[in-house]
Amino acid sequence: MSSWRSLLLRLGEKCPEYAGNADFKDQIDACHSLVRREIEHSGDDVFPFLLQCAEQLPHKIPLYGTLIGLLNLENEEFVRKLVESTQINLQDALETGQCNKIRILMRFLTVLMCSKVIQPSALVVIFESLLSSAATTVDEEKGIPSWQARADFYITCILSCLPWGGAELVEQVPEEIERVMVGVEAYLSIRRRVSDAGVSVFEDIEESNNVVNEKDFLEDLWSRVQDLSNRGWKLDSVPRLHLSFEAQLVAGKSHDLSPVSCPEQPGPPGALSGIAFGRQKHEAELKYPQRIRRLNIFPSNKTEDLQPIDRFVVEEYLLDVLFFLNGCRKECAAYMVGLPVPFRYEYLMAETIFSQLLLLPQPPFRPIYYTLVIIDLCKALPGAFPAVIAGAVRALFDKITDLDMECRTRLVLWFSHHLSNFQFIWPWEEWAYVLDLPKWAPQRVFVQEVLEREVRLSYWDKIKQSIENAPALEELLPPRGGPQFKYSAEDGTDPTERALSLELKDMVKGRKTAREMISWVEENVFPAHGFDITLGVVVQTLLDIGSKSFTHLITVLERYGQVIAKMCTDDDQQVKLITEVSSYWQNSAQMTAIAIDRMMSYRLISNLAIVRWVFSPLNLDRFHVSDSSWEILRNAVSKTYNRISDLRKEISSLERSVVLAEKAASRAREELESAESKLSVIDGEPVLGENPVRIKRLKSYAEKAKEEEVSVRDSLEAKEALLARAVDEIEALFLSLYKSFLTALAEPLHDASRDGTLRPSGHVDDMTIDLEDSSVMELDKDDERSKKSHPNGSGERKGYNLDEKQQWCLTTLGYLKAFTRQYASEIWQHIEKLDAEVLTEDTHPLVRKAIYCGLRRPLEE
Amino acid sequence: MASLFKDLAKISAYRDKRFPGTQEEFEDALLRSITVYVGNMSFYTTEEQVYELFSRAGEIKKIVMGLDKNSKTPCGFCFIMYYSRDDAEDSVKYISGTILDDRPIRVDFDWGFQEGRQWGRGRSGGQVRDEYRTDYDPAIRRGGYGKLVQKELEAQRQLVDYGTGSLGAYPPVMPPPHYGRHNGGNHGRGGSYRHGRDYHRKRHREDDHHRPDYPKRTYERESRRNSDHESRPEKNPRFRESGDSDEEDDDDRKRRT
Repeated sequence: MSSWRSLLLRLGEKCPEYAGNADFKDQIDACHSLVRREIEHSGDDVFPFLLQCAEQLPHKIPLYGTLIGLLNLENEEFVRKLVESTQINLQDALETGQCNKIRILMRFLTVLMCSKVIQPSALVVIFESLLSSAATTVDEEKGIPSWQARADFYITCILSCLPWGGAELVEQVPEEIERVMVGVEAYLSIRRRVSDAGVSVFEDIEESNNVVNEKDFLEDLWSRVQDLSNRGWKLDSVPRLHLSFEAQLVAGKSHDLSPVSCPEQPGPPGALSGIAFGRQKHEAELKYPQRIRRLNIFPSNKTEDLQPIDRFVVEEYLLDVLFFLNGCRKECAAYMVGLPVPFRYEYLMAETIFSQLLLLPQPPFRPIYYTLVIIDLCKALPGAFPAVIAGAVRALFDKITDLDMECRTRLVLWFSHHLSNFQFIWPWEEWAYVLDLPKWAPQRVFVQEVLEREVRLSYWDKIKQSIENAPALEELLPPRGGPQFKYSAEDGTDPTERALSLELKDMVKGRKTAREMISWVEENVFPAHGFDITLGVVVQTLLDIGSKSFTHLITVLERYGQVIAKMCTDDDQQVKLITEVSSYWQNSAQMTAIAIDRMMSYRLISNLAIVRWVFSPLNLDRFHVSDSSWEILRNAVSKTYNRISDLRKEISSLERSVVLAEKAASRAREELESAESKLSVIDGEPVLGENPVRIKRLKSYAEKAKEEEVSVRDSLEAKEALLARAVDEIEALFLSLYKSFLTALAEPLHDASRDGTLRPSGHVDDMTIDLEDSSVMELDKDDERSKKSHPNGSGERKGYNLDEKQQWCLTTLGYLKAFTRQYASEIWQHIEKLDAEVLTEDTHPLVRKAIYCGLRRPLEE
Repeated sequence: MASLFKDLAKISAYRDKRFPGTQEEFEDALLRSITVYVGNMSFYTTEEQVYELFSRAGEIKKIVMGLDKNSKTPCGFCFIMYYSRDDAEDSVKYISGTILDDRPIRVDFDWGFQEGRQWGRGRSGGQVRDEYRTDYDPAIRRGGYGKLVQKELEAQRQLVDYGTGSLGAYPPVMPPPHYGRHNGGNHGRGGSYRHGRDYHRKRHREDDHHRPDYPKRTYERESRRNSDHESRPEKNPRFRESGDSDEEDDDDRKRRT
C-alpha cells in the first residue's frame, strides 16, 4: 500500500506508520503534508479513498474532518468535489434506505461543518428536510403513521449528529438549531411511543400488558442530548481536533450544500387500520430497525459513571466497528479495544456485544460472528475481558427465567461454543446448586443444554472432565451410549424380526438395489408381519448401517431411501417412522435431529409429520425440560422457509434474465429487419435485403435469441409454479403449527393460569404459592445460600417458584412467540387465514398475546 | 462490507495445481463456490463435531472427510458443502482460526466439489427439479463416484501450498481465560488453576483400534510450527509424494469417462 494510503488509513492509531507517535495533532500534520502533495499528482485517487476511510471507520471521522479542513485551505476545488460527492452519496443512501450510510454521512457532514468546510446553515437545512419528512409521516391525515420507524430513524440521525457538532451549531447558528430542537420536541409529542413488546430480551410474557412507562429509544436519546445541552455541549467521547487547528481553519472557505430530499411516502396518506396497518408497520420496522436494545445486565456502578451521552457515543462507535469491520478479524478486535475515548469501557463493550447477540428479531449478523468477536477480545484483553464476559454470563444466568426463549437458545449456542475455544474451562461449582432445582427450572435446563452442546462440539469424556469441580453435574450430561439398535445380538428381541434384520443387512452388503429391496419388503415381510414390524425392521436396520457417521447416513438414505418412501406415504406412517428414528437414536439428540432433518431433505418425511410428532404426548411432556424436540421443530420450519426463500431468489434472478433475454431478442430482430429492408445490388439488379449470407446469419441469431428468451421464460414459469406450491406448503405448515400449539396449550393454560396470569405475583413468600411445594421450599434455602456466597451482591437470585405446569406453559408460550417472531414476515402474508382459523374468539388470551407480540401487532385494534 | 482491509480480488493465496483451467477461472470458481476446505483438524474429530460447529454458519449439505490413502482413516482435513454461498462465506469468515477439538482450524473456499458436480449430472439449469435443499440425486453416487472424488481431492491437497492466513496471527495456545470476579473470593481462580497441568488421556473412541500405528495424541501443545507440520495434509509423511504413482492419473481417466 502506498504511503499516503497507509497514513490515511492509520490516522489516529498508534502504529509504525506514524513511528509510534500517538499524538493526534502530530499525526494530522504528518498526514496532511504528505496527502496535500499527493493530491497534486493524483487527487482523483485520494478523495475516494479518503471518503472510504471516513465511511468505514466512522469513529475516526473527527480526524478525517480536520484533515479535510486543512486541505480546504489550499485546495478548495478538491474539497468541493469531496463535499459534492458526499452529498450525492447521502441522497442516494436516503433513497435506498441504507441506514448506516445515512447516519455516518450526516456525522461526517457535521464534522466538516466543525472544520469550516461547510456552512452550518447548510447542515441545518438537511436536518430540517429530515425533520419535516418525519413530521409528515406521523401525521394522521397527511402522512402514513405505520411508517413511523422511518421517521424515528430520521430524528435519530439528527440527534446523533449533535455530540459531534452541537457546540458549534449552537455557537454559530443558535436560532436555526433552536428551531430544529423545537421541531424535534414537537415531533416527539405527536409520534406514538414505541413498545418493545415482543422484541425485548427480558420479557415476562404477561408484563407487556401494563402501559409502557419507560422511555423508548428515541425519547431516551432525546434525554441524553438534552443532558448534553445542559452541560454546555461538552463530552469526553468525541475528540475535538478541529480546536487544535482553529487558528488555521477559520481562514477556510465554507462550501454550500444543496438541499437533500427525503424519499416520497410509500403509499397514499391516511391512517390505516387493522391488518394493513400492522403489515406496513412490520415492513417499515424491518427496513429501519432499532439498532440496539440495552440489556442493563451489569450493576450500575460498572457503567453509570459515564455521562449519558458518552454511553450513547461509545455504543455508536462499537456498533459501527462491528458493522463495518465484519469479516476483518484483526482490525475489528483492534478497533473495538482502541476507541478514541479517555475512559475504560470493557463493561459497556461486553454489554453492547451481548445486546447484538441477543437482538430480536435478529442481529445484523449471524450469532456466530459475535462469538468470534468475543473470542478475539478475550485474547486481545486477556487480563480484563474474560472476567467481564463471565460477569455477563452470570448476570444473564441469574435472569434467565425472564430471558426470551430464543435468546436462551442463542445464549446456549454461544456459551458452549465460547467455552470450546477456551478449553471448556468454567467454574461449574458455582452452578452446581441447579441440581437442587426441579428439572424444569430454566437455570437447570440451561446448564444441561450447554453441556449437551459442549459434548456435541467435543466428546463425552472430555466434558465430563471439564466439570470435575462439580462432579454431581454429571447427572445433567447427555447419555453416553451410542445407538439403540433393536435387533442387536443381545437377547430380548424377537428372533424372527432379528432374522429379518440380518437378511436385510445381507441384502445391503450384497449391493441389492432399492427396487429389489422394495419387492422383498412387499412380498416377504409386509404380508406376514404387518406394517409396524416391517417398518421397525427396515428403519432400524438401515439406520444401523448408516450409524457410523453423517456421511454413512446420507449414503444409506440415498441408496435405500426409496424403500422407506414406499412404505411411509402418509403422515401417520411418517410419524411412526420418526418415532422409530428417535428410538434408535434415543441417546443422541444430535443424531436424532440430523436423521430427521435428512429424511425431510429427501422428502421421506413431511414437515407436517414432524409437527405432529413434536406435539405428540411423549414429546409434549418434555417441552419444558429439554430443547431437543424444539430443535427438531426449528429445523423443520427453517428448512421449509429456506426452500421458499431460495425459490424467491432464483425467481428474482430469472426475472432479470428474462429482461436481458428480451432485450437481446429484440435487438437481434431489429438488426435482422433493418438488414432485410435495405436495398442492395446483386448482379447489377437492385434486390431487397442485404448480402444473403449475412441475412442468414442474422436470422439464425434472431432465432437463437428468441429460443433463449422462450427457454428463460419457461424456467421462470416453472419456478413460479414451484413457488406457488411452496407458499401453500408453508401456509399449511404454519396453520398446523399454530393449531398444535393451541391444542397443546388449551388444557394446561386453563389449569395453570390463575386470574389469567401464570406467574405468582410478587415474592417467594407470596400467599398465592402452594407452600407445600417442596421445590419452592428448597429454593428458599438455596436463595439464602446463594446470597451468602456472593458477598458483593452481584449474584443475587430471585427464588424460583413456579410449579411444573406453570413452567410448561411459560416455556411453550415462549417458543410460540419465538417462532412467530422469527417468521413474522412470512406469517403476515397469511394473516387473514390465521385470523379465521386460529385466532378465534375462544383463543386463550395468553396464546393470543404470544402470537400478537411475535408479530408486533397491536393488541387493541 | 469493509473493503479497506481486504483485497477483495485476492480470494485465496494458493493456486490449486489440479484445477483444470486458468487462474481467472480458478478464482471465479472460488468466488462462486459453496464448498469450503477445512484444514488443521485433529485426526480424531468426527463428522458430527464438524456438523455441530459448521451448521452454525448455515445448513450443511455434505461433509467429506479427508482420508488417509492407506489406512482410510481421517487425516486432518475435510470438505463441507453448503446450500448457499452466503453460508459458505460466513463459515470462512467466522470459523477459520477458531478452535475445534483443541485445534485452531483453518477454513478456505474450495473449488473442488463445485467443479465435480458436472460429472454424471448432465447440463444444469435447464431441467427444473424441486430438489434444492433436498439433494437427492442418485446419479451422483453411481459408479462409486463419491469414492473417486474423495481420492481425487485427497491427491489435490498434497500439492496445495497454503500461505499463512489469518491463522498465523493467532497462536494456537489460548491464554487461559480468567473468569474470576474482580474482588477475588473463592470463585476467583476461574480456570487458571488447570493451566499447565498436562493431562495425557487416551481418547475413548470406538475406532481407536483402527490406527494402532498412530502415536497417541498428547495434549501438550507443541509449537505451532510443529503441530502444523504434523497435520498439514500436504506435508503428511503418510502421503506419497505426487508423481510416484500413476494411480491418480488412473482416477482422472475414470472420472472423465
